[in-house]
Amino acid sequence: MNPLAGLDLLLKNLPFILQGLGMTLALSLTTLLFVTVLSGLLGIAATLRFRSLRVLVRVWVELFRDIPLIVNIFLVFFVAPLAGLDLTPFWAVTVGLSLWGSANGAEIVRSGLNAVPRHQWQSAAALGLKTWEVYGFITGPQALRAILPPFVGLLTLLIQATSLGALVGVGEFFKVGQIIVERTTMMEGRNPAFLVYGAVLVTYFVICSGLSWFGRWLERRLGRTQSRPAPAGAVASPAPAPQLP
Amino acid sequence: MDFDLAYLMAQGPALMRGLWLTIQVSLLSIVLSVLVGLLGAAARVMEVPVLDPAVRAYVEFIRNTPMLAQLFFIFYGLPGIGLKLSLFWSGVLCLTLWAGAYQVENLRGGLATVGKGLREASYALGLTPWRFFHLVAAPLAIRVALPAMLNTAISLLKNSSYLQAIGLAELTYVAIDRISMDFRTIEMFAAICVIYLALVLVLSFLASRLEFRLNAPFRH
Repeated sequence: MNPLAGLDLLLKNLPFILQGLGMTLALSLTTLLFVTVLSGLLGIAATLRFRSLRVLVRVWVELFRDIPLIVNIFLVFFVAPLAGLDLTPFWAVTVGLSLWGSANGAEIVRSGLNAVPRHQWQSAAALGLKTWEVYGFITGPQALRAILPPFVGLLTLLIQATSLGALVGVGEFFKVGQIIVERTTMMEGRNPAFLVYGAVLVTYFVICSGLSWFGRWLERRLGRTQSRPAPAGAVASPAPAPQLP
Repeated sequence: MDFDLAYLMAQGPALMRGLWLTIQVSLLSIVLSVLVGLLGAAARVMEVPVLDPAVRAYVEFIRNTPMLAQLFFIFYGLPGIGLKLSLFWSGVLCLTLWAGAYQVENLRGGLATVGKGLREASYALGLTPWRFFHLVAAPLAIRVALPAMLNTAISLLKNSSYLQAIGLAELTYVAIDRISMDFRTIEMFAAICVIYLALVLVLSFLASRLEFRLNAPFRH
């Protein structure tokens, strides 16, 4: 295969490819928004005193982490119409990814909050701060240090997972690659799959490894300024890695 | 809309065939990916020239690209350079490469906990690097790495559902295929969700048993 012909193919489809990248970006950002809000709420709920709330979060986390992500997306895509919800493929994927992402994000937020030394909480409570004030001004900001790096890691997984949108017909980046391959095979009689899927992989790699690098930088940066060491007995546990799709 | 149990019963054999394929692909890939992980982690820890940076690049690449794209590259792209694999083996290759990258990192993390002092002591006692590796380092490292390794294995099992995208008739494929024919959506999803949950829970249970047993020498 002539490599120049392949390059030509990519150049010819550039507007189409950019459109796909835009869709991937839109899908990622929408999902990120939902995941952030849901993870925050669920993660905080998991550290509150109410047992029933904690059990509920546990079930949510286990359920959406243990069911394969693909099944999750198909489930939303096929079952939502039966429940009277007319979701477009875009929103079906967003909901499916958000359910999965929030299960992982909740664990990150929960362990981040739990990693804040216990005496911080106790001192704040002793000073008469209300629960929301403790979370908002004392433990929350300190927990962010532990939460942000793994959350960036989760974001790269989310961007990768948006490629699953192709399976239910969202015209995002991976789908665009698929269409270019099919179209070229049908119309020109040659199969550019090696080149096109190779280019798709490289593009995702550039985006996601850039973000991963940023996450590692953030981890080093935030790790440098430590909060006061916890007194003996207050043990902080490290944040768990998000469970893969 | 009612729940048609009789329909589900009738589809039982088809679902079981899908499940069997899921289990075959997953178990084979789990074993192979642990091998990849062991070799890769050894290359990285021993800082073998050429191999060390190559393994690093491999791990970075796999972790920062979607598995779906990797799968399509393997199944549709590789024939373009004369490497044509069957559906089954494309799936095994994809899952092995994907999980292998994570296993390299898991095992490397485990090996990193084996102190330099142990290595020096072993060499001073006359152990060869290989004997040090499999008599001293590996038994300690595997205990540390085990929870993460089992997590990766469980993820692999779940990710075997990606293979439905290239048309391998595993569990998810069977379910989606039936849904598009019979529109018994709720029944099918209930069935496969229960099956996947059961598989993951059984694997998690076995994992915790294994951890418990391996930790026996350290329990007081």
